[in-house]
Amino acid sequence: MTPVQLALLIFGLMLVLMVVRVPIAGAMFIAGTAGFVLQSGFSPFINFINNLAFARLANYDLSVIPLFILMGHFATQGGISKALFKFAAAVMGRFKGGLAMSAVLACAAFGAICGSSVATAATITGVALPEMKRHGYSGRLATGTLAAGGTLGILIPPSVPLVIYAILTEQNIAKMFAAAMLPGLIAMVGYMIAIAIYVRVVPGQAPDKEEVEKLTLESLMGIFPIAVIFIVVFGGIYAGFFTPTEGAAVGAASTFIAALIKGELTRASFIECFYATAMSSAMIFMIFMGADVMNAALARTQVPNQLAEMVVAMNLAPLLVVGGILLLYVVLGAVMDELSMLLLTIPIFFPIIMKLNFGMTPEYTAIWFGIMVLMTVGFGMLAPPVGLNVYVVNGMAKDVPLSESYKGITPFLISDTVRTLLLLFFPGISLFLVQYLT
Amino acid sequence: MNPSSRLRWLARACSIIGGLILTALMLMTCYSVVGRNFFEKALIGDFELTGIACGIAMAFFMPLCQLERGNIIVDFFTAKRSARFNHGLDRFGDLLMAVIFILLSWRSGVAALSAKENMGASMLLGFPDWIVLAGMSIPFALAAVIAIAQTLARFDQSSQGVA
Repeated sequence: MTPVQLALLIFGLMLVLMVVRVPIAGAMFIAGTAGFVLQSGFSPFINFINNLAFARLANYDLSVIPLFILMGHFATQGGISKALFKFAAAVMGRFKGGLAMSAVLACAAFGAICGSSVATAATITGVALPEMKRHGYSGRLATGTLAAGGTLGILIPPSVPLVIYAILTEQNIAKMFAAAMLPGLIAMVGYMIAIAIYVRVVPGQAPDKEEVEKLTLESLMGIFPIAVIFIVVFGGIYAGFFTPTEGAAVGAASTFIAALIKGELTRASFIECFYATAMSSAMIFMIFMGADVMNAALARTQVPNQLAEMVVAMNLAPLLVVGGILLLYVVLGAVMDELSMLLLTIPIFFPIIMKLNFGMTPEYTAIWFGIMVLMTVGFGMLAPPVGLNVYVVNGMAKDVPLSESYKGITPFLISDTVRTLLLLFFPGISLFLVQYLT
Repeated sequence: MNPSSRLRWLARACSIIGGLILTALMLMTCYSVVGRNFFEKALIGDFELTGIACGIAMAFFMPLCQLERGNIIVDFFTAKRSARFNHGLDRFGDLLMAVIFILLSWRSGVAALSAKENMGASMLLGFPDWIVLAGMSIPFALAAVIAIAQTLARFDQSSQGVA
């Protein structure tokens, strides 16, 4: 078997296993195992497994992930979201489609202490969806808005996919976070604009008149705990008091305290935080191990290397290469989860990107590409056929058909596309804060 | 038979242990950060402990994730098939997960034994590696048992909630 055939076989086996509902992590693990054993034999393989779990799980750099996840679940269970949405409604309520915009604002604020898009979508949906229904918003717009708003959870730091990108490419996590802030805010504004246009162009999606809640001191307090936690965590990181991992621990502890003060964190919900953290972290670390085996098998075929050299030798325009990779991500994102996709492709694509000349320092190129990848990941969380966020929000709505939710996504996907192009052609938007903060 | 309530109890107990380890890690880090920045008292090797504790916690999280079938699957291609058909596929998936967890548990166990012989330990604190490896091997074994039980579980309308 030639190396190319072997690589195709490994990849094909993974896809087949995925189609028959084998967990993606398992599909990568098994396909990688087959490829590894075929090339090197059984005993090198089991020796490789000896250290796999130790190296991946007991890893200081990666410990930032479960800590941010724990922080997010403390925030979810801690009753912060209700007051937050009230604040958002008081700020945005005056506009047409105001409650939908409030949901976006609430998602963005919640995203500032939560690094997962699904958790953000689910949390804000819990408080915002009933309100939007009560005010006469269509199921289409309500679920579309919340699914899209959820992606702000990863676009605005902290962000689990961004942490993973930083670790894979050996970039500074603090700098990556700084680079994501402005694009994250642009995403928020972009979604609000999308809503404003949508409710005017398509009639009957939002009520014509809404009762406006006044912005009182009490509703203003809704944002207070989040603002404090955000300033403590990111202020601490950028002032050099602690590393991002330590920042995650400090953030989790402060969110825990905020939830205690709110008085909504019971012993049962505290245990619930552990269960939820266990589920999301185990899932992520399982994907890490699966991708490790898969990547080890693929690397042995040398095909990824040759592919990279081939692309560089073709001498294409650098922006064209980036555009091609991002398009490929959109396609791949339709069948794979975003994390596995990053873990399998970044080791192949990143070296290509670093060999191209974008007129920036290598570090800035790496950071900017990471933000571009993050945008596409957000896109994949929404786009059919498998937009994870859409599933989650739609599942919570119960009475809205999935096709309606996918229709509701359209304005936000357009907004995503515009923003991605903007950042593709103007890297300065994301790099601007990196210069100032770090 | 479905994974018995005993396995569920064990998996939940494991994630609570993992969660407590993670919480302890969170508190230790806060202590370390405050000590270093305000009292000029650094906690030596705190990042080593972080890695170690995180590793054990993550392994303890695996059984619950397997029990609840929390690993992401692609159900787009099989969404229109009957529940019975998909249950059959899921049992195949569970079988593969069982193989993976057996492999992980076995090899981490072997690595633990050899680390004990070679006195492998962390750089600064000298924390023995074998404890970490054994601390991973055990929950992996539980995850394997759960996956085997799921593989053997017959189709049962009432078990749909677990999918």
